[in-house]
Amino acid sequence: MAACGKGLDKFMFSLRLLRNLQLQNERFLSTSVCRLAVGGSSEQPPKFTPPSKPVIVDKTQTVASTRSHLSPEFIPPRQRTNPFKFYIERKDMIRRRKVLNIPEFYAGSILAVTMADPNASGKMNRFVGICIQRGGHGLGATFVLRNIIDNQGVEICYELYSPRIQQIEVLKLEKRLDDNLMYLRDALPEYCTVDPDMKPEPISPTGEVPVNKLKVRMRPKPWSKRWERPKFNIQGIRFDRSLTPEQMEHAQKWAQPWREYDMLKEYDTSKLEEQILSEVQREMSK
Amino acid sequence: SFNSSCSITALISPNFFSRSPSHLVGCIRTVKTTTWFDEHLTEDNQEYMRKTTAEEYRRQTAEKLNPLKDEPWQRHEWTEGSRRVGLVAVKLGMVPVWSKTGERHVVTMLQVQDCHVIKHLSKEEFDGHTAALVVGGKNVSPFNRSESQMEMFRNAGVPPKQKVTTFKVSDNALIKPGTPLYAAHYRPGQYVDVTAKSIGKGFQGVMKRWGFKGQPATHGQTKTHRRPGASGPGGDPAKVFKGKKMPGRMGNVYVTAHGLKIWRVNTKYNVLYVNGSIPGHKNCLLKVKRHTRAHKHTQTRK
Repeated sequence: MAACGKGLDKFMFSLRLLRNLQLQNERFLSTSVCRLAVGGSSEQPPKFTPPSKPVIVDKTQTVASTRSHLSPEFIPPRQRTNPFKFYIERKDMIRRRKVLNIPEFYAGSILAVTMADPNASGKMNRFVGICIQRGGHGLGATFVLRNIIDNQGVEICYELYSPRIQQIEVLKLEKRLDDNLMYLRDALPEYCTVDPDMKPEPISPTGEVPVNKLKVRMRPKPWSKRWERPKFNIQGIRFDRSLTPEQMEHAQKWAQPWREYDMLKEYDTSKLEEQILSEVQREMSK
Repeated sequence: SFNSSCSITALISPNFFSRSPSHLVGCIRTVKTTTWFDEHLTEDNQEYMRKTTAEEYRRQTAEKLNPLKDEPWQRHEWTEGSRRVGLVAVKLGMVPVWSKTGERHVVTMLQVQDCHVIKHLSKEEFDGHTAALVVGGKNVSPFNRSESQMEMFRNAGVPPKQKVTTFKVSDNALIKPGTPLYAAHYRPGQYVDVTAKSIGKGFQGVMKRWGFKGQPATHGQTKTHRRPGASGPGGDPAKVFKGKKMPGRMGNVYVTAHGLKIWRVNTKYNVLYVNGSIPGHKNCLLKVKRHTRAHKHTQTRK
C-alpha cells in the first residue's frame, strides 16, 4: 500500500492542480481585464477583441472568505495525549481539505451534502437539512443534518472527513442562539422543514455571521429531554407557550450555580487556537 | 536501586522544550528520604548536567546512523519459519481510517521512538533452543538507573531506555547491538501482536473484574446487589477450589492483542497505524512483534 499510496499522491496532486485552476478561473472578477492584458503582451498588433457575454460571478461559494475561521474539530480536547498525535491528525485533515472544500458552517445553517452510495441510482445521493449538532474532534468529526420529508423526520450523521462525501454546500449560513439544536426534535415540524430544492443564498465573505434569534415553539410535553432544565442552557425555545412559570421555577431546582466558579473546569483555548489557525492557514495556502 | 518515583526523565528527553508541559502534570516527588541527582548540585551544574546528557544522546544516536563507523552483522535470506525481531513503540491514540471501498475502520497510532537493539543473547545464554535479542524503546535519564543497567547500555553505546524487552529470534535474523530500529521494519498489510500493561483499575469487585451478573436491585434483596453469591459446590469437595474468581486487583498486567493488521506506515515520523484497540493507556510503551498463527485468539483469522 506504500507504493499505491505514492501513485494516489500524484493523482491527488494533479486533481488539486485542476481544482485550483478551476477555482482561480472563477475567482477573477472579470475576464475582460485579463483578455486585454494578454492581448497587449503578445507579439501580434493589438486586435480588438469584443468582450464576451457578461460573466455572472457566483459569489456564494467560490470567493475566498476573508473571515478567519477555525473549524471546531481542529481544537484538541483537554486530554493527556501527546500533542504530536494531534499534529499528525491535523496533517491528514488538511490533506483532505485540499481535495474537498469543507466550508464554514455552524449549528443552525442549512447544508446540502452529496455522498457516494453504491446502492443509489446515479451512485450519489443528496441530502439537504439543517445542521443541529457538530461533534467529535480530529478526523472523526461529525455533523448531524435534520429534515422532514413526507411528514417523516430524518436525521443523518455525516463524518466531515469521510472519503464518501463528494460535496458539502452551504445553502444558508447562519448561527442560532444555541450550539446544539437537538430540541428541534420536539419542536413543531415547521422549524425543521427545509426545501430539498432550495437555492443557495449569497454569503458575505466579510463581517459577522448572522445570528438568527428565533425562539422555537414546541410540541406539547413530554419531550425527549427536559429542555427547560438549566444544564442544557437553551436560549432558543419559547418556554412561555408550553410551560407555566411554576414549572420553570421547579426546573431551576437542578441549577448548579457553583459550576461557573469552578476553576478546574476552565479550558482556555485562545492561544492554542491562534497557533493552530496560523498553522492551518499556512498549510492550506501551500 | 530504583529511585524513579517521579519521572525526572521528562526533563532529560530532547523533546522537553518542544512538548507542552502536559507531561509534567502530576509529577510530584513523593519519596523524600533518598537523595536525587539534583539535590546537592548548584543550579548551573544542574543545567550543565541536563545539557550534556541531551548532547550525549544525540551524539550516540548520530554515531549509530553512520554506516561507516561500524560494520553491521551479515544479513541472511528469509526462510520459512524464521523469526524477525520486533519493536518497542509508544501508544499515541486512536483515529478512524477509511479503505478504498469506503469502509471505516478504527486504528491505533503507535510511534517508534528511539528503538535500539541493546544486547544479543546466544542460544546457550538464553534458553538452549533459540537466540534472543534485547531491544529497548524511548530514551530516559541515566540518573535514576542502577549501575548494572547502565553497564548494559554503555556496552551497546546507546542512551538508557525506559522499556527493555527480549525477542526470541532465529539465527538468520540476528542484528548487531546498537542498530536503531524504525517503523519501516513493518509494511502495511502485515499482522502484528501487541503486548502492553493494561490500565490498572485497583481493587475491583467481582462484577467488574469477572463479569458476574450480581443480584437484582429490588424485590426484597437485603444488602446484596453486587456480591459474588455462592463460592462453589457444597459438602462433597467441602472447600473452595484454587483460582476461584473473587474480588481483587484488576489491571496492570501484561495483555497481548493478537493478529492486528497494519493499515499504514508513516516512515517520516515512525508511526504505525494498527487496526483496532490496544491494551494500555495513552503514551504507554508496547512490545510489537510479528504475528504467528500459533495463538487461536486472533482479531482477524487469516
